[in-house]
Amino acid sequence: MNAIYGLFSDPDSAGQALKVLRAASSRGHINVDGIVVISSEPLEDEDLGLPKQRTPMPWLAALGGLIGGSIGYALATFTQRTYPLPTGGMPIVALWPTGIVMYELTMLGAILATLATFLVTARLPNYRKRLYDPEISDGKILIGVADPDRNYCAELKRQLHQEGAEKVKEFSNG
Amino acid sequence: MARRWGMVIDLDRCTGCEACVAACHAENNIATVGDAEAARGRAIHWIRVERYWEGEYPNVRVMFRPIPCQQCDAAPCEPVCPTYASYHNADGLNAQVYNRCIGTRYCANACPYTVRYFNWFNPVWDKPLNLQLNPDVSVREAAVMEKCTFCIQRIKAAEIKSEMEKREIKDGEFSPACVQSCPAGAMVFGDLDNPDSIVSRLSLSVRGTQLLSEVGTYPKVTYLERESSRGDE
Amino acid sequence: MATNSIAQTNAVRLNDDRISQDLLRPVFHTSRRFYAIALLLAVPVAAALAAFLYQVYSGIGVAGITRPVFWGFYITNFVFWIGISHAGTLISAILRLTNAGWRRPVTRCAEAITVFALVIGASFPVIHLGRPWLFFWLIPYPSERGIWPNFRSPLLWDFFAISTYITGSLTFLLLPIIPDWAMVRDKASGWRKRIYTVLALGWRGTPREWHRLEMAMRIMAVAIIPVAVSVHTIVSWDFAMAPVPMWHSTVFGPYFVAGAIFSGIAALIIAMAFLRKFLHLEEYLKPIHFDNLGKLLLLMSLLWIYFIFAERLTVWYGNETSEMSAFWSIQRGKFAILFWIMVFCNFLIPFPILAIKKLRTITGTVIASITVVIGMWLERFLIIVPPLEHKYLPYAWGNYRPTWVEITITVGTFFAMALLYLLFVKFVPIISMWELKAGQHVQPLSHEPDPALSQANADLNNSLPVTDSEA
Repeated sequence: MNAIYGLFSDPDSAGQALKVLRAASSRGHINVDGIVVISSEPLEDEDLGLPKQRTPMPWLAALGGLIGGSIGYALATFTQRTYPLPTGGMPIVALWPTGIVMYELTMLGAILATLATFLVTARLPNYRKRLYDPEISDGKILIGVADPDRNYCAELKRQLHQEGAEKVKEFSNG
Repeated sequence: MARRWGMVIDLDRCTGCEACVAACHAENNIATVGDAEAARGRAIHWIRVERYWEGEYPNVRVMFRPIPCQQCDAAPCEPVCPTYASYHNADGLNAQVYNRCIGTRYCANACPYTVRYFNWFNPVWDKPLNLQLNPDVSVREAAVMEKCTFCIQRIKAAEIKSEMEKREIKDGEFSPACVQSCPAGAMVFGDLDNPDSIVSRLSLSVRGTQLLSEVGTYPKVTYLERESSRGDE
Repeated sequence: MATNSIAQTNAVRLNDDRISQDLLRPVFHTSRRFYAIALLLAVPVAAALAAFLYQVYSGIGVAGITRPVFWGFYITNFVFWIGISHAGTLISAILRLTNAGWRRPVTRCAEAITVFALVIGASFPVIHLGRPWLFFWLIPYPSERGIWPNFRSPLLWDFFAISTYITGSLTFLLLPIIPDWAMVRDKASGWRKRIYTVLALGWRGTPREWHRLEMAMRIMAVAIIPVAVSVHTIVSWDFAMAPVPMWHSTVFGPYFVAGAIFSGIAALIIAMAFLRKFLHLEEYLKPIHFDNLGKLLLLMSLLWIYFIFAERLTVWYGNETSEMSAFWSIQRGKFAILFWIMVFCNFLIPFPILAIKKLRTITGTVIASITVVIGMWLERFLIIVPPLEHKYLPYAWGNYRPTWVEITITVGTFFAMALLYLLFVKFVPIISMWELKAGQHVQPLSHEPDPALSQANADLNNSLPVTDSEA
């Protein structure tokens, strides 16, 4: 995979460059899915003109909670019924203690579901060599295009320079 | 057939001789912990005799109350054990399973009568006392909770014998070591669910009280208060 | 108010590079002083470990617990450390949810305290067991003994609650560290680069990754609060469920949670003061942070005195015989001195320091926090031991005297906390760099800078030392 990208020092010029690239993509010069944005801080998606991100994470967390609660219920009732040992005059499956265990496992299910969904949907961990520049950690914002049309490369570099990129680089992990 | 083993202790007859304590030690392989440990309050007596003084000199009276495990029907020590080492068995006894005990000591805190005793160290019998251990009773190791079992080994032995002989257990056929050894005959043991047994008739006595009944433990040991104290103001 | 606090946080707007430099310095540079302090802290920890092993070898009898005080220092420590662990949840989760800008430099310090306090706290149920090598019997697994744990026991609820809370806190701590580890990876070389490359999970910073991270943090912030409340409630029910005079109280749930948050904030203030001094973070952990936390500490101190008063009044008014013997032994008997030290440490000393603005400085809040930590430890002790010494039957009353084993282990855990924290600061930037920088750039991209914000900034940069106009 090849890429051409520019490093911008502030979000405004980066946003400008992104606008230009999106205009170019609407004219068919570059693939809109190939536009890459990387930053060291979360940027406001709407202002960058990027499509609003959606994730089913809250629903999956709720689902995880439901599963956890069911496991809690099953654990408490099934195990206590298989080997019924009466204690203190309480019923074998005492509702309140079972409820407490269910509650804790519900929360655990929600937490683990959130963690798992995060890792899967953010596609982490991923140790393959991907488009990245260590200067991003200095606060630069990377705006680039992956696999650009070879005829359009020079124009692309010119546009990035024009919008105020501090540096314009090429990347290849081939 | 499920039974409800219970006990009645007549405080009018108890002389405080503590023969019950000694017999319990002998029957149940209870070790003596030594001077230092006893001074720290760690002596183990599955049944203990509490002594209370009443009145001022010269009208002083002493009252003795033997307190074994009360084998509560709603025992607070049972639900709190995380490993079921303390549970209610089919005969209504509060059973202590030594192998399950991991030593959280929650049951001992929960018992309002403080009748549970913990093995802080491995018990030691100086020679030749180790030769007099009762083979019917296990020896507990360090970090395990123990308490009065109403001599469950004798209960089981009587049950086995009666099953082999295909008959019911007769009332008074056997008794725990403490009941057996009491010279004043202050203690009675039997099946509370059997309406003809002595213990169930005595437990309904007018003199009958239960220790700490307000805590809601439903103990199965009934104390017969002294006749003389009932007449006083 | 949001404008005010953000502006105050930004009153000295730090260059992003400066932030990275300051906060990465402890990760990249290890002074000789670090090794010396680490060694110093490790000695009591090693002693505590040795004492525990001695206890396992010789038998739990080497501890001071006895009949009838079957729980003593170890359970005091257990409740105390689980209480301290409530620092992170309050600060991080609630302040995240309420969008309080001043939380940014503070969240990671707090979350780290939570995780380590939980690790230490959760080790005490194992330490206090008579047969600690069998602690795993509390885990519900199909065992060869054919038996499951007893779900009716509050200790089982403890197990589930603490496991859930540790998982949640670790997640809550580690998720926002990933971008910072990516930053360390980019700036590191050699073995450090290899380690942090693995730790950073290949994080780049695409909008997708940021969005998922922030969504996960939002869900976690909502989820962790009820977990934290339930954890200490369940710990309090270890006592409230037993019919021991002065334990069997319905107020224990909320009382313990309030006390936990109280001690947690105090621990956080102390940790922050140490970090500020030793890592030279004066630009980041500013007087306003200590001021705000000090106000929260004041609130919790008032809440604590309210709970203590409510509990003791109902006991005294009810005049139940067994409860009163425990009550008087605390109020007037052999525990009276500890009781009054506790009241001083938890209320009488912190209240004036925290209530009077002039005294609510960094030094003031730290002094108040230290007294609170001492007072809260004493409070746990006074809840556990005196009632056990005076249960229902006077013939079975007893005395508790801790032995060197318990004291060594107790002291060792405080040093263990410090040591774990020290190691954490070495491997993780203690202030969340990306959150701090993001907080400074509050304006959205394509809009004009907020004129009110710039004006506020200009005013503050021109004016004298920051004062909080709402105080």
